Amino acid sequence: MTSAYELSDITLEQQKKIILDIPQLTIDSGQCLALLGENGAGKTSLINLLAFTSRANQGSIRLFNQVVRSKLKPSQRRRIGLVHQQPFLLPGTVADNIRLALSLQGVKRSQIPALTQQALVQVNLIDLADQVASTLSGGELKRVAIARAIAYQPDILLLDEPFSHLDHRHIQLLEDSINNFAQQTGKTVIFSTHDRFQAQALANATINLVAGKITAAPLLNLYHGTLDQHFFNTGKMMIHATSELTNARHLAVDPREIIVSPQPLESSMRNSFSGRLILIAEEGHAIRLTIECAERFHVIISPEALSSLNLSLGDTIWLSFKSTAVTVF
Amino acid sequence: MNYFIESLLAAFSLITSLDANIYRIVLTSVSISITATLIAALLAIPAGVAMALNTFAGKASLQHLLNTLMSMPTVVIGLLLYGLFSRLGPLGNWGLLYTPTAIIIAQAILIFPIMMNLTIAAVNSADPRLVPTLISLGARPYTLTVHVIRATRYAILAALITGFGRAIGEVGAAMMLGGNIQGFTRTMTTAIALETSKGEFELGLALGLLLLIIAFALNFALSWLNKS
Repeated sequence: MTSAYELSDITLEQQKKIILDIPQLTIDSGQCLALLGENGAGKTSLINLLAFTSRANQGSIRLFNQVVRSKLKPSQRRRIGLVHQQPFLLPGTVADNIRLALSLQGVKRSQIPALTQQALVQVNLIDLADQVASTLSGGELKRVAIARAIAYQPDILLLDEPFSHLDHRHIQLLEDSINNFAQQTGKTVIFSTHDRFQAQALANATINLVAGKITAAPLLNLYHGTLDQHFFNTGKMMIHATSELTNARHLAVDPREIIVSPQPLESSMRNSFSGRLILIAEEGHAIRLTIECAERFHVIISPEALSSLNLSLGDTIWLSFKSTAVTVF
Repeated sequence: MNYFIESLLAAFSLITSLDANIYRIVLTSVSISITATLIAALLAIPAGVAMALNTFAGKASLQHLLNTLMSMPTVVIGLLLYGLFSRLGPLGNWGLLYTPTAIIIAQAILIFPIMMNLTIAAVNSADPRLVPTLISLGARPYTLTVHVIRATRYAILAALITGFGRAIGEVGAAMMLGGNIQGFTRTMTTAIALETSKGEFELGLALGLLLLIIAFALNFALSWLNKS
Protein backbone atom coordinates (compact mmCIF):
# COMPACT_ATOMS: atom_id res chain seq x y z
CA MET A 1 0.00 0.00 0.00
CA THR A 2 1.39 3.43 -0.91
CA SER A 3 1.41 6.15 1.65
CA ALA A 4 -0.53 9.33 1.01
CA TYR A 5 1.45 11.27 3.60
CA GLU A 6 4.65 10.77 5.55
CA LEU A 7 5.29 13.35 8.24
CA SER A 8 8.70 13.57 9.94
CA ASP A 9 9.70 15.70 12.91
CA ILE A 10 6.87 18.16 12.44
CA THR A 11 6.71 21.11 14.82
CA LEU A 12 4.23 23.92 14.41
CA GLU A 13 4.48 26.92 16.70
CA GLN A 14 2.24 29.94 16.93
CA GLN A 15 3.08 32.81 19.25
CA LYS A 16 5.72 30.68 20.98
CA LYS A 17 3.16 27.98 21.78
CA ILE A 18 3.61 24.51 20.34
CA ILE A 19 0.48 23.71 18.37
CA LEU A 20 1.67 20.44 16.81
CA ASP A 21 4.52 18.11 17.69
CA ILE A 22 4.51 15.02 15.49
CA PRO A 23 7.80 13.09 15.32
CA GLN A 24 6.51 10.51 12.83
CA LEU A 25 3.21 9.83 11.10
CA THR A 26 2.40 7.80 8.03
CA ILE A 27 -1.06 7.86 6.48
CA ASP A 28 -1.70 5.10 3.98
CA SER A 29 -3.71 5.89 0.89
CA GLY A 30 -7.11 4.42 0.27
CA GLN A 31 -8.43 4.69 3.81
CA CYS A 32 -10.98 6.81 5.62
CA LEU A 33 -9.24 8.30 8.61
CA ALA A 34 -10.65 10.34 11.49
CA LEU A 35 -8.58 12.93 13.35
CA LEU A 36 -10.04 12.84 16.81
CA GLY A 37 -9.37 15.38 19.51
CA GLU A 38 -10.85 18.03 21.76
CA ASN A 39 -11.19 21.66 20.70
CA GLY A 40 -7.72 23.16 20.52
CA ALA A 41 -6.00 19.78 20.14
CA GLY A 42 -4.50 20.87 16.81
CA LYS A 43 -6.89 19.15 14.40
CA THR A 44 -7.43 22.17 12.15
CA SER A 45 -3.70 22.95 12.17
CA LEU A 46 -2.89 19.40 11.10
CA ILE A 47 -5.55 19.48 8.35
CA ASN A 48 -4.06 22.76 7.09
CA LEU A 49 -0.56 21.25 7.08
CA LEU A 50 -1.84 18.24 5.16
CA ALA A 51 -3.55 20.59 2.69
CA PHE A 52 -0.31 22.62 2.43
CA THR A 53 -2.23 25.82 3.11
CA SER A 54 0.09 26.45 6.04
CA ARG A 55 3.63 25.32 6.74
CA ALA A 56 5.28 23.76 9.76
CA ASN A 57 8.14 25.54 11.49
CA GLN A 58 10.16 22.35 11.30
CA GLY A 59 10.01 18.95 9.68
CA SER A 60 8.98 17.61 6.31
CA ILE A 61 5.86 16.20 4.72
CA ARG A 62 6.00 13.76 1.82
CA LEU A 63 2.96 13.62 -0.40
CA PHE A 64 2.68 10.32 -2.28
CA ASN A 65 6.40 9.71 -1.68
CA GLN A 66 7.39 13.11 -3.05
CA VAL A 67 8.96 15.71 -0.80
CA VAL A 68 7.04 18.97 -0.99
CA ARG A 69 9.34 21.96 -1.29
CA SER A 70 8.38 25.49 -0.35
CA LYS A 71 5.41 25.47 -2.71
CA LEU A 72 3.11 22.73 -3.88
CA LYS A 73 3.35 22.00 -7.63
CA PRO A 74 0.04 22.42 -9.51
CA SER A 75 0.01 18.67 -10.19
CA GLN A 76 0.38 18.00 -6.45
CA ARG A 77 -2.24 20.61 -5.51
CA ARG A 78 -4.68 18.85 -7.80
CA ARG A 79 -4.36 15.65 -5.77
CA ILE A 80 -5.79 17.33 -2.63
CA GLY A 81 -9.33 18.54 -2.00
CA LEU A 82 -9.94 20.59 1.15
CA VAL A 83 -13.21 21.47 2.84
CA HIS A 84 -12.86 24.07 5.60
CA GLN A 85 -14.85 23.93 8.82
CA GLN A 86 -16.94 26.88 7.68
CA PRO A 87 -16.62 26.67 3.92
CA PHE A 88 -16.56 29.91 1.94
CA LEU A 89 -18.44 29.96 -1.32
CA LEU A 90 -17.63 32.68 -3.80
CA PRO A 91 -20.38 34.93 -5.17
CA GLY A 92 -22.45 33.24 -7.86
CA THR A 93 -24.32 30.00 -8.14
CA VAL A 94 -23.45 26.54 -6.87
CA ALA A 95 -22.33 25.53 -10.36
CA ASP A 96 -20.23 28.73 -10.69
CA ASN A 97 -18.29 27.71 -7.58
CA ILE A 98 -17.56 24.26 -8.96
CA ARG A 99 -16.61 25.63 -12.37
CA LEU A 100 -14.24 28.09 -10.68
CA ALA A 101 -12.47 25.26 -8.84
CA LEU A 102 -12.11 23.32 -12.07
CA SER A 103 -10.73 26.29 -13.99
CA LEU A 104 -8.30 27.18 -11.17
CA GLN A 105 -7.02 23.61 -11.28
CA GLY A 106 -6.36 24.00 -14.98
CA VAL A 107 -9.02 21.54 -16.14
CA LYS A 108 -9.70 21.77 -19.90
CA ARG A 109 -12.67 23.99 -20.70
CA SER A 110 -14.40 21.19 -22.62
CA GLN A 111 -14.36 18.89 -19.57
CA ILE A 112 -15.79 21.44 -17.11
CA PRO A 113 -19.57 20.92 -17.70
CA ALA A 114 -19.36 17.12 -17.36
CA LEU A 115 -17.16 17.28 -14.23
CA THR A 116 -19.43 19.90 -12.65
CA GLN A 117 -22.42 17.66 -13.26
CA GLN A 118 -20.60 14.62 -11.90
CA ALA A 119 -19.55 16.40 -8.68
CA LEU A 120 -23.10 17.60 -8.01
CA VAL A 121 -24.45 14.08 -8.57
CA GLN A 122 -21.93 12.69 -6.09
CA VAL A 123 -23.23 14.96 -3.32
CA ASN A 124 -26.83 14.61 -4.47
CA LEU A 125 -27.29 18.32 -5.15
CA ILE A 126 -27.95 18.36 -8.86
CA ASP A 127 -31.22 20.24 -8.28
CA LEU A 128 -29.38 23.13 -6.66
CA ALA A 129 -26.89 23.71 -9.50
CA ASP A 130 -28.34 27.11 -10.40
CA GLN A 131 -29.12 28.27 -6.87
CA VAL A 132 -27.25 31.34 -5.62
CA ALA A 133 -24.62 30.16 -3.14
CA SER A 134 -25.50 32.73 -0.48
CA THR A 135 -29.01 31.29 -0.13
CA LEU A 136 -27.93 27.76 0.81
CA SER A 137 -28.55 26.18 4.23
CA GLY A 138 -25.59 25.14 6.39
CA GLY A 139 -25.82 21.48 5.37
CA GLU A 140 -26.20 22.25 1.67
CA LEU A 141 -23.27 24.65 1.84
CA LYS A 142 -20.99 21.93 3.23
CA ARG A 143 -22.07 19.50 0.54
CA VAL A 144 -21.45 22.11 -2.16
CA ALA A 145 -18.00 22.67 -0.66
CA ILE A 146 -17.40 18.91 -0.89
CA ALA A 147 -18.62 18.89 -4.48
CA ARG A 148 -16.23 21.77 -5.23
CA ALA A 149 -13.33 19.93 -3.59
CA ILE A 150 -13.95 16.61 -5.36
CA ALA A 151 -14.93 18.06 -8.75
CA TYR A 152 -11.34 17.92 -10.01
CA GLN A 153 -11.07 14.33 -8.80
CA PRO A 154 -8.36 14.63 -6.16
CA ASP A 155 -6.85 11.54 -4.54
CA ILE A 156 -7.20 12.94 -1.05
CA LEU A 157 -10.19 14.67 0.51
CA LEU A 158 -9.52 16.61 3.71
CA LEU A 159 -12.46 17.80 5.78
CA ASP A 160 -12.20 19.97 8.87
CA GLU A 161 -15.01 19.26 11.35
CA PRO A 162 -17.49 18.49 8.57
CA PHE A 163 -20.31 17.53 10.92
CA SER A 164 -20.26 20.49 13.31
CA HIS A 165 -23.46 22.54 13.64
CA LEU A 166 -25.53 20.17 11.50
CA ASP A 167 -28.76 18.41 12.34
CA HIS A 168 -29.10 14.63 12.15
CA ARG A 169 -30.57 14.57 8.64
CA HIS A 170 -27.82 16.74 7.19
CA ILE A 171 -25.15 14.70 8.97
CA GLN A 172 -26.58 11.61 7.27
CA LEU A 173 -26.55 13.31 3.84
CA LEU A 174 -23.01 14.50 4.42
CA GLU A 175 -21.88 11.03 5.45
CA ASP A 176 -23.38 9.68 2.23
CA SER A 177 -21.48 12.30 0.20
CA ILE A 178 -18.19 11.46 1.92
CA ASN A 179 -18.83 7.72 1.56
CA ASN A 180 -19.55 8.14 -2.16
CA PHE A 181 -16.09 9.61 -2.56
CA ALA A 182 -14.32 7.25 -0.15
CA GLN A 183 -15.66 4.15 -1.87
CA GLN A 184 -13.84 4.95 -5.10
CA THR A 185 -10.65 2.96 -5.44
CA GLY A 186 -7.56 4.47 -3.91
CA LYS A 187 -9.24 7.59 -2.54
CA THR A 188 -8.11 8.80 0.88
CA VAL A 189 -10.43 10.70 3.19
CA ILE A 190 -9.18 12.44 6.31
CA PHE A 191 -11.66 14.29 8.49
CA SER A 192 -11.34 15.91 11.88
CA THR A 193 -13.95 15.60 14.57
CA HIS A 194 -14.32 15.87 18.32
CA ASP A 195 -17.12 13.29 18.22
CA ARG A 196 -15.78 9.80 18.87
CA PHE A 197 -18.97 8.15 17.67
CA GLN A 198 -18.88 10.05 14.40
CA ALA A 199 -15.30 8.89 13.94
CA GLN A 200 -16.24 5.28 14.58
CA ALA A 201 -19.28 5.45 12.30
CA LEU A 202 -17.41 6.63 9.24
CA ALA A 203 -13.69 5.99 9.56
CA ASN A 204 -11.76 2.75 9.40
CA ALA A 205 -8.89 4.21 11.43
CA THR A 206 -8.46 7.00 13.94
CA ILE A 207 -5.65 9.33 14.92
CA ASN A 208 -6.02 10.64 18.45
CA LEU A 209 -4.69 14.14 18.96
CA VAL A 210 -4.14 15.62 22.41
CA ALA A 211 -2.56 19.06 22.80
CA GLY A 212 -0.82 18.77 19.44
CA LYS A 213 0.55 15.28 20.03
CA ILE A 214 -0.58 11.99 18.57
CA THR A 215 -1.43 9.36 21.14
CA ALA A 216 -2.57 5.77 21.00
CA ALA A 217 -4.54 6.24 24.21
CA PRO A 218 -8.33 6.21 23.87
CA LEU A 219 -9.75 9.67 24.43
CA LEU A 220 -12.93 8.70 26.24
CA ASN A 221 -11.54 9.29 29.73
CA LEU A 222 -9.04 12.05 29.12
CA TYR A 223 -7.88 14.33 31.92
CA HIS A 224 -5.37 17.16 32.07
CA GLY A 225 -3.14 17.91 35.04
CA THR A 226 0.29 17.13 36.46
CA LEU A 227 2.07 13.92 37.42
CA ASP A 228 3.96 13.76 40.69
CA GLN A 229 5.40 10.61 42.26
CA HIS A 230 3.11 8.19 40.37
CA PHE A 231 0.04 10.27 41.19
CA PHE A 232 -1.67 12.30 38.50
CA ASN A 233 -3.47 15.32 39.89
CA THR A 234 -6.36 16.46 37.68
CA GLY A 235 -7.20 19.30 40.03
CA LYS A 236 -10.26 17.39 41.24
CA MET A 237 -8.86 13.94 42.00
CA MET A 238 -5.63 11.93 42.20
CA ILE A 239 -5.21 8.92 39.88
CA HIS A 240 -2.41 6.41 40.41
CA ALA A 241 -0.29 5.85 37.33
CA THR A 242 2.88 3.82 36.82
CA SER A 243 4.96 6.13 34.71
CA GLU A 244 8.44 7.48 35.02
CA LEU A 245 7.52 10.53 32.96
CA THR A 246 7.92 13.76 34.83
CA ASN A 247 6.50 16.20 32.33
CA ALA A 248 3.26 14.35 31.58
CA ARG A 249 0.27 16.66 31.29
CA HIS A 250 -2.44 14.29 30.12
CA LEU A 251 -3.89 11.03 31.40
CA ALA A 252 -6.28 8.63 29.69
CA VAL A 253 -8.03 5.61 31.20
CA ASP A 254 -9.11 2.79 28.90
CA PRO A 255 -12.91 2.58 29.30
CA ARG A 256 -12.82 -1.20 28.78
CA GLU A 257 -10.33 -1.70 31.60
CA ILE A 258 -12.50 -0.16 34.33
CA ILE A 259 -14.36 -2.60 36.59
CA VAL A 260 -17.77 -1.55 37.86
CA SER A 261 -19.18 -2.92 41.12
CA PRO A 262 -22.03 -2.01 43.47
CA GLN A 263 -19.66 -2.35 46.45
CA PRO A 264 -15.96 -1.49 46.96
CA LEU A 265 -13.74 -4.32 45.68
CA GLU A 266 -11.04 -6.02 47.76
CA SER A 267 -8.27 -6.10 45.17
CA SER A 268 -4.75 -5.08 44.29
CA MET A 269 -6.05 -2.35 41.99
CA ARG A 270 -4.60 0.99 42.95
CA ASN A 271 -7.47 3.13 41.76
CA SER A 272 -10.92 2.83 43.32
CA PHE A 273 -13.53 5.58 43.31
CA SER A 274 -17.23 5.80 43.98
CA GLY A 275 -19.63 7.87 41.93
CA ARG A 276 -23.17 8.32 40.73
CA LEU A 277 -24.39 6.60 37.58
CA ILE A 278 -25.80 9.31 35.33
CA LEU A 279 -26.06 7.67 31.90
CA ILE A 280 -26.55 4.22 30.44
CA ALA A 281 -26.24 4.23 26.67
CA GLU A 282 -26.00 1.70 23.89
CA GLU A 283 -22.82 2.02 21.86
CA GLY A 284 -22.55 -0.40 18.97
CA HIS A 285 -22.74 -3.84 20.52
CA ALA A 286 -21.64 -2.62 23.95
CA ILE A 287 -23.00 -0.47 26.76
CA ARG A 288 -21.47 2.79 27.88
CA LEU A 289 -21.94 3.89 31.48
CA THR A 290 -21.19 7.43 32.53
CA ILE A 291 -20.33 7.86 36.19
CA GLU A 292 -19.94 11.18 37.93
CA CYS A 293 -17.06 10.97 40.39
CA ALA A 294 -14.94 14.03 41.10
CA GLU A 295 -14.27 13.70 37.36
CA ARG A 296 -16.65 12.13 34.86
CA PHE A 297 -15.75 8.55 33.83
CA HIS A 298 -17.01 6.50 30.91
CA VAL A 299 -16.98 2.72 31.16
CA ILE A 300 -17.68 0.22 28.38
CA ILE A 301 -19.28 -3.04 29.51
CA SER A 302 -21.14 -5.85 27.77
CA PRO A 303 -24.98 -5.99 27.72
CA GLU A 304 -24.72 -9.21 29.79
CA ALA A 305 -22.69 -7.40 32.45
CA LEU A 306 -25.30 -4.64 32.54
CA SER A 307 -28.15 -7.07 33.22
CA SER A 308 -26.17 -8.98 35.88
CA LEU A 309 -25.23 -5.76 37.68
CA ASN A 310 -28.87 -4.67 37.76
CA LEU A 311 -27.99 -0.98 37.60
CA SER A 312 -30.34 1.99 37.71
CA LEU A 313 -29.67 5.63 37.01
CA GLY A 314 -28.70 7.51 40.16
CA ASP A 315 -27.10 4.44 41.82
CA THR A 316 -23.83 4.92 43.63
CA ILE A 317 -21.31 2.50 42.13
CA TRP A 318 -17.61 1.80 42.47
CA LEU A 319 -15.03 2.03 39.73
CA SER A 320 -11.73 0.17 39.99
CA PHE A 321 -8.85 0.04 37.57
CA LYS A 322 -5.19 -0.92 37.59
CA SER A 323 -2.45 1.60 37.07
CA THR A 324 -1.69 -0.25 33.85
CA ALA A 325 -5.09 0.78 32.45
CA VAL A 326 -3.81 4.32 32.65
CA THR A 327 -1.76 6.03 29.94
CA VAL A 328 0.02 9.25 30.75
CA PHE A 329 1.67 11.45 28.15
CA MET B 1 -24.84 90.81 -0.86
CA ASN B 2 -26.26 91.98 -4.19
CA TYR B 3 -22.91 91.39 -5.78
CA PHE B 4 -22.89 87.81 -4.56
CA ILE B 5 -26.44 87.04 -5.67
CA GLU B 6 -25.89 88.66 -9.06
CA SER B 7 -22.70 86.69 -9.52
CA LEU B 8 -24.45 83.47 -8.54
CA LEU B 9 -27.22 84.11 -11.06
CA ALA B 10 -24.63 84.89 -13.73
CA ALA B 11 -22.82 81.64 -12.83
CA PHE B 12 -26.05 79.67 -13.24
CA SER B 13 -26.69 81.25 -16.59
CA LEU B 14 -23.12 80.38 -17.68
CA ILE B 15 -23.78 76.76 -16.77
CA THR B 16 -27.23 76.52 -18.32
CA SER B 17 -26.22 78.34 -21.49
CA LEU B 18 -23.60 75.61 -22.00
CA ASP B 19 -20.81 78.19 -22.21
CA ALA B 20 -18.09 76.68 -24.40
CA ASN B 21 -15.31 78.19 -22.33
CA ILE B 22 -16.62 76.60 -19.13
CA TYR B 23 -17.20 73.18 -20.64
CA ARG B 24 -13.76 73.17 -22.25
CA ILE B 25 -12.27 73.72 -18.80
CA VAL B 26 -14.47 70.96 -17.31
CA LEU B 27 -13.51 68.59 -20.11
CA THR B 28 -9.79 69.32 -19.65
CA SER B 29 -10.09 68.75 -15.91
CA VAL B 30 -12.10 65.54 -16.17
CA SER B 31 -9.96 64.02 -18.93
CA ILE B 32 -6.73 64.80 -17.05
CA SER B 33 -8.06 63.35 -13.79
CA ILE B 34 -9.57 60.25 -15.42
CA THR B 35 -6.25 59.52 -17.15
CA ALA B 36 -4.35 60.05 -13.90
CA THR B 37 -6.81 57.81 -12.04
CA LEU B 38 -6.52 55.01 -14.60
CA ILE B 39 -2.71 55.14 -14.60
CA ALA B 40 -2.58 55.17 -10.80
CA ALA B 41 -5.16 52.35 -10.62
CA LEU B 42 -3.16 50.14 -12.97
CA LEU B 43 -0.23 50.36 -10.57
CA ALA B 44 -1.89 50.84 -7.17
CA ILE B 45 -4.49 48.06 -7.32
CA PRO B 46 -2.14 45.16 -8.12
CA ALA B 47 0.45 46.62 -5.72
CA GLY B 48 -2.16 46.93 -2.96
CA VAL B 49 -3.45 43.38 -3.49
CA ALA B 50 0.11 42.01 -3.55
CA MET B 51 0.99 43.87 -0.37
CA ALA B 52 -2.16 42.69 1.41
CA LEU B 53 -1.64 39.07 0.41
CA ASN B 54 2.04 38.76 1.23
CA THR B 55 4.13 39.11 4.33
CA PHE B 56 7.65 40.40 3.93
CA ALA B 57 10.33 42.21 5.88
CA GLY B 58 9.60 45.92 6.06
CA LYS B 59 5.85 45.59 5.41
CA ALA B 60 4.96 47.65 8.49
CA SER B 61 7.42 50.40 7.49
CA LEU B 62 6.01 50.47 3.97
CA GLN B 63 2.51 50.81 5.44
CA HIS B 64 3.69 53.78 7.53
CA LEU B 65 5.28 55.35 4.45
CA LEU B 66 2.03 54.94 2.49
CA ASN B 67 0.06 56.52 5.32
CA THR B 68 2.45 59.46 5.34
CA LEU B 69 2.31 59.87 1.55
CA MET B 70 -1.49 59.94 1.71
CA SER B 71 -1.33 63.30 3.39
CA MET B 72 1.44 64.76 1.21
CA PRO B 73 0.53 68.37 0.22
CA THR B 74 -0.12 68.71 -3.49
CA VAL B 75 2.16 71.72 -3.80
CA VAL B 76 5.07 69.61 -2.56
CA ILE B 77 4.46 67.13 -5.40
CA GLY B 78 4.14 70.11 -7.74
CA LEU B 79 7.39 71.54 -6.45
CA LEU B 80 9.35 68.28 -6.82
CA LEU B 81 8.06 67.64 -10.32
CA TYR B 82 8.67 71.26 -11.26
CA GLY B 83 12.28 70.68 -10.30
CA LEU B 84 12.43 67.61 -12.51
CA PHE B 85 10.54 69.02 -15.51
CA SER B 86 11.79 72.58 -15.59
CA ARG B 87 14.27 73.48 -18.32
CA LEU B 88 17.22 73.15 -15.97
CA GLY B 89 15.93 69.97 -14.32
CA PRO B 90 17.12 66.43 -15.15
CA LEU B 91 14.01 65.77 -17.30
CA GLY B 92 13.85 69.29 -18.70
CA ASN B 93 14.46 68.21 -22.30
CA TRP B 94 11.28 66.09 -22.25
CA GLY B 95 9.35 69.33 -22.50
CA LEU B 96 6.68 68.28 -20.05
CA LEU B 97 6.37 71.45 -18.00
CA TYR B 98 3.07 73.29 -18.57
CA THR B 99 1.51 70.31 -20.37
CA PRO B 100 -1.48 68.15 -19.37
CA THR B 101 0.96 65.20 -19.12
CA ALA B 102 2.79 66.92 -16.25
CA ILE B 103 -0.50 67.38 -14.38
CA ILE B 104 -1.47 63.74 -15.07
CA ILE B 105 1.86 62.53 -13.67
CA ALA B 106 1.47 64.73 -10.58
CA GLN B 107 -2.11 63.62 -9.93
CA ALA B 108 -1.23 59.95 -10.47
CA ILE B 109 1.60 60.27 -7.92
CA LEU B 110 -0.73 62.10 -5.54
CA ILE B 111 -3.48 59.48 -5.61
CA PHE B 112 -1.30 56.36 -5.91
CA PRO B 113 -0.79 55.97 -2.13
CA ILE B 114 -4.47 56.71 -1.45
CA MET B 115 -5.64 54.07 -3.92
CA MET B 116 -3.04 51.53 -2.80
CA ASN B 117 -3.96 52.02 0.85
CA LEU B 118 -7.68 51.71 0.14
CA THR B 119 -7.02 48.56 -1.92
CA ILE B 120 -5.05 47.06 0.98
CA ALA B 121 -7.95 47.91 3.30
CA ALA B 122 -10.42 46.39 0.81
CA VAL B 123 -8.51 43.09 0.66
CA ASN B 124 -7.96 43.02 4.42
CA SER B 125 -11.65 43.55 5.06
CA ALA B 126 -12.65 40.71 2.70
CA ASP B 127 -13.81 37.45 4.24
CA PRO B 128 -10.74 35.87 5.88
CA ARG B 129 -11.67 32.56 4.26
CA LEU B 130 -11.45 33.97 0.72
CA VAL B 131 -7.69 33.63 0.19
CA PRO B 132 -7.22 30.21 1.88
CA THR B 133 -10.19 28.92 -0.14
CA LEU B 134 -8.77 30.16 -3.44
CA ILE B 135 -5.32 28.74 -2.63
CA SER B 136 -6.77 25.37 -1.65
CA LEU B 137 -8.71 25.33 -4.93
CA GLY B 138 -5.47 25.76 -6.84
CA ALA B 139 -5.18 29.51 -7.41
CA ARG B 140 -1.65 30.61 -8.30
CA PRO B 141 -0.33 34.16 -7.68
CA TYR B 142 -1.80 35.68 -10.85
CA THR B 143 -5.20 33.95 -10.67
CA LEU B 144 -5.32 34.59 -6.92
CA THR B 145 -4.85 38.34 -7.52
CA VAL B 146 -7.52 38.37 -10.24
CA HIS B 147 -10.07 36.57 -8.08
CA VAL B 148 -9.32 38.65 -4.99
CA ILE B 149 -9.86 41.81 -7.06
CA ARG B 150 -13.07 40.34 -8.42
CA ALA B 151 -14.34 39.47 -4.95
CA THR B 152 -13.52 42.92 -3.56
CA ARG B 153 -14.43 44.86 -6.70
CA TYR B 154 -16.90 47.23 -5.03
CA ALA B 155 -14.42 48.32 -2.37
CA ILE B 156 -11.72 48.67 -5.03
CA LEU B 157 -14.06 50.72 -7.22
CA ALA B 158 -14.63 52.93 -4.19
CA ALA B 159 -10.83 53.37 -4.00
CA LEU B 160 -10.88 54.41 -7.66
CA ILE B 161 -13.64 56.97 -7.11
CA THR B 162 -11.93 58.37 -4.02
CA GLY B 163 -8.71 58.73 -6.02
CA PHE B 164 -10.51 60.51 -8.86
CA GLY B 165 -12.22 62.83 -6.38
CA ARG B 166 -8.87 63.77 -4.87
CA ALA B 167 -7.30 64.27 -8.31
CA ILE B 168 -10.00 66.52 -9.74
CA GLY B 169 -10.12 68.64 -6.60
CA GLU B 170 -6.38 69.31 -6.23
CA VAL B 171 -5.05 72.68 -7.22
CA GLY B 172 -1.40 73.02 -6.14
CA ALA B 173 0.26 70.65 -8.61
CA ALA B 174 -2.06 71.57 -11.50
CA MET B 175 -1.19 75.21 -10.99
CA MET B 176 2.57 74.73 -10.71
CA LEU B 177 2.91 72.19 -13.53
CA GLY B 178 0.03 73.17 -15.82
CA GLY B 179 0.29 76.91 -15.70
CA ASN B 180 -3.45 77.50 -16.34
CA ILE B 181 -3.04 77.82 -20.11
CA GLN B 182 -6.43 78.42 -21.67
CA GLY B 183 -7.77 75.48 -23.65
CA PHE B 184 -4.72 73.38 -22.81
CA THR B 185 -3.96 73.08 -19.11
CA ARG B 186 -6.65 75.26 -17.58
CA THR B 187 -8.43 72.94 -15.14
CA MET B 188 -11.45 73.73 -12.99
CA THR B 189 -9.40 74.30 -9.85
CA THR B 190 -6.69 76.43 -11.45
CA ALA B 191 -9.34 78.47 -13.21
CA ILE B 192 -11.20 79.08 -9.95
CA ALA B 193 -7.99 80.08 -8.17
CA LEU B 194 -6.48 82.25 -10.88
CA GLU B 195 -9.41 83.64 -12.92
CA THR B 196 -11.21 84.86 -9.80
CA SER B 197 -8.20 86.97 -8.90
CA LYS B 198 -8.47 88.52 -12.36
CA GLY B 199 -12.07 89.59 -11.59
CA GLU B 200 -13.84 86.66 -13.29
CA PHE B 201 -15.87 85.84 -10.20
CA GLU B 202 -18.87 84.45 -12.13
CA LEU B 203 -16.66 82.02 -14.02
CA GLY B 204 -15.05 80.86 -10.77
CA LEU B 205 -18.44 80.44 -9.16
CA ALA B 206 -19.83 78.47 -12.13
CA LEU B 207 -16.82 76.16 -12.07
CA GLY B 208 -17.10 75.85 -8.29
CA LEU B 209 -20.73 74.78 -8.64
CA LEU B 210 -19.82 72.21 -11.29
CA LEU B 211 -17.01 70.90 -9.08
CA LEU B 212 -19.51 70.56 -6.24
CA ILE B 213 -21.88 68.66 -8.55
CA ILE B 214 -19.04 66.29 -9.50
CA ALA B 215 -18.16 65.83 -5.81
CA PHE B 216 -21.81 65.16 -5.02
CA ALA B 217 -22.07 62.61 -7.84
CA LEU B 218 -18.91 60.87 -6.65
CA ASN B 219 -20.19 60.70 -3.09
CA PHE B 220 -23.50 59.38 -4.29
CA ALA B 221 -21.69 56.68 -6.28
CA LEU B 222 -19.59 55.82 -3.22
CA SER B 223 -22.56 55.43 -0.91
CA TRP B 224 -24.32 53.32 -3.56
CA LEU B 225 -21.21 51.13 -3.77
CA ASN B 226 -21.05 50.82 0.00
CA LYS B 227 -24.62 49.57 0.00
CA SER B 228 -23.73 47.00 -2.66
